[in-house]
Amino acid sequence: MTQSIEKTKIIENVLWLRLAQILVNEKYKKGDFKIPIHLALGHESIAVAVNQSMVSKDSLILSHRNIHYNLARMGTIKEELDEYYLNDNGLAGGHLGSMNLSNPKKNIPYTSSILGNNISVATGYALGNKMKNNNAIVILITGDGAIEEGSLWESLLFMRSNDISVMIIVENNQWSLGTKIEERRCKINLDHLSNSLNIDYKALNGNDPFHYIKTLSEFRNKSIKNKCPVIIEVHLSTLGYWYMETQEYPTGKFINYHAGPAPEVELEEYPIIEPNIKDPLHVLEGYLSKEELIKISSEQLKILKSELL
Amino acid sequence: MKYVQYINSLLKNIIQKEKDLIIYGQNINAGSCISGLTRGLGDINSGFTINTPNSENTLTGIGFGLMLNSTSSIFFMKQMDFLLLGIDHLVNTFNIIRQSMPTASFTIFPVNVDSGFEGPQSALNNFNDFCSIADLDGYSFTNKIDTKEIISNYLIRPGFRIISPSQRLLRNDTINLDVFYYDKEFKYFHYMKGDDLSIVCFNYSLPYGISLYKRFKNIQISASLLSINTFSLFDCKYLINELNQTKNLIIIDDSKSTNKMSDKFLNQIYKHCILEKIIVLDRQDEKNRFFPRHDQLEIDYNSVLNKFIK
Repeated sequence: MTQSIEKTKIIENVLWLRLAQILVNEKYKKGDFKIPIHLALGHESIAVAVNQSMVSKDSLILSHRNIHYNLARMGTIKEELDEYYLNDNGLAGGHLGSMNLSNPKKNIPYTSSILGNNISVATGYALGNKMKNNNAIVILITGDGAIEEGSLWESLLFMRSNDISVMIIVENNQWSLGTKIEERRCKINLDHLSNSLNIDYKALNGNDPFHYIKTLSEFRNKSIKNKCPVIIEVHLSTLGYWYMETQEYPTGKFINYHAGPAPEVELEEYPIIEPNIKDPLHVLEGYLSKEELIKISSEQLKILKSELL
Repeated sequence: MKYVQYINSLLKNIIQKEKDLIIYGQNINAGSCISGLTRGLGDINSGFTINTPNSENTLTGIGFGLMLNSTSSIFFMKQMDFLLLGIDHLVNTFNIIRQSMPTASFTIFPVNVDSGFEGPQSALNNFNDFCSIADLDGYSFTNKIDTKEIISNYLIRPGFRIISPSQRLLRNDTINLDVFYYDKEFKYFHYMKGDDLSIVCFNYSLPYGISLYKRFKNIQISASLLSINTFSLFDCKYLINELNQTKNLIIIDDSKSTNKMSDKFLNQIYKHCILEKIIVLDRQDEKNRFFPRHDQLEIDYNSVLNKFIK
């Protein structure tokens, strides 16, 4: 019974997070925001899993694409929206906007818009935990673009040399701005890189929030017990891409979603974007029937709308 | 006592009183211990003392991460040019952290490589530029009194700053001067009080100022001698009053920067003082500054004296 309630709660969280982002997207499409926002449609499972796996003194350090983690940690949308409007009553009093949005009250002490910048700050934060004997972990969110920066190597060396617990989550969506990995660099085998420093590595695929929660909890405990960083590479897709018709591309040119509104994503009662494994909502259909998911989605939408009334 | 030993003794005095302090940097507790600057600090530090890998960008970010986690730290660095790799954090990371009024202290303590002969890459006597890029607090010091006050008051204090000694002076005997007056925030020190002119020294140029002061004294010209130890704009009222009395100003600045504190100071003085003579001694006309060469500011003292008397 308890397990069933927890399962429903996780599913509610994933649906709520999708709907919350779509509500932001609706306002974005109307031109409501002056600031750039990087939506994370398709990243809901890992965000819910990270939130779920955090315990009291754990900290989360984020990057420019952070809406999913901030929303998952808050569980409400209004303050974050107010921050995007740069209102005084926003989450950070309108001082941080989107790409630097942190929330110390929810254990998000730092968020950086600069690629790779947050890796060393997370290392320092974790060294502070060691000094205080906190039995806690720092969860660092980075991506396949940021791991190209030298700060990853430098920080791994420092963490490994000084027995520091950090769980590094690499969101690998294959894209950095408008370039795919194969358009900009050779392959990075993070497993081999981790192995060279005797660091545990795990690849996650498939957008299953329950599998993600289990793995993150295991690796969190392992990192704390072994006083060592761990690396989790999450293969995912940032949904919301679209096709632009031009003279050169009459059938449409593929535009990968990076930032800004996702023009073709609409607010619907059941907000699935792609009927395949790239979409965490599709994966939920392995746990509940579509009818049940639609019912939950409709309830979550009501909750969100009532908060915004 | 050699200047490096004097600074080391001040550092020990402060660090041994601190709890939960992290001191770190390359070679700080091994090998030469940054030419003796950090020797023995690990023995008296009750917190962590970390000899780090060669990762200056990350080491700069780590200090800010520690600050966010309310943990104070000092990052010792053998050469200020290494800090170029940490500029992203000096600007971007600190721009976030400074919004939250941190309670922890983070001090970067690099040695300014002003001794010369290192070549085009390492001889970066440009403290001004590091401070101006993000309006950072930075303090230089050259003698017994300003070193004691600045290290005692800024080494560990909530917030972030860079404090830096001169490599050239570290090898010399400690300069000992009487002080006439100094700013309560230690941004400037007034050593000698005179009536005829004011010699104002920037960066690490006080030793040149002392030489000039003595030469003026020998010809019965009464000079004031001051140093400006900060690289950020500060309240200049005291100095304006001083200059309105002497009416004559000699600026000495041995920085290689083209964005000098002495120029900003001069701007303030032009606004508030009508002076009879202003002489600026800096590196503006210096040639070959990017080749391996001695780093002394070349001053023709007789010519300065003649220019003033004329």
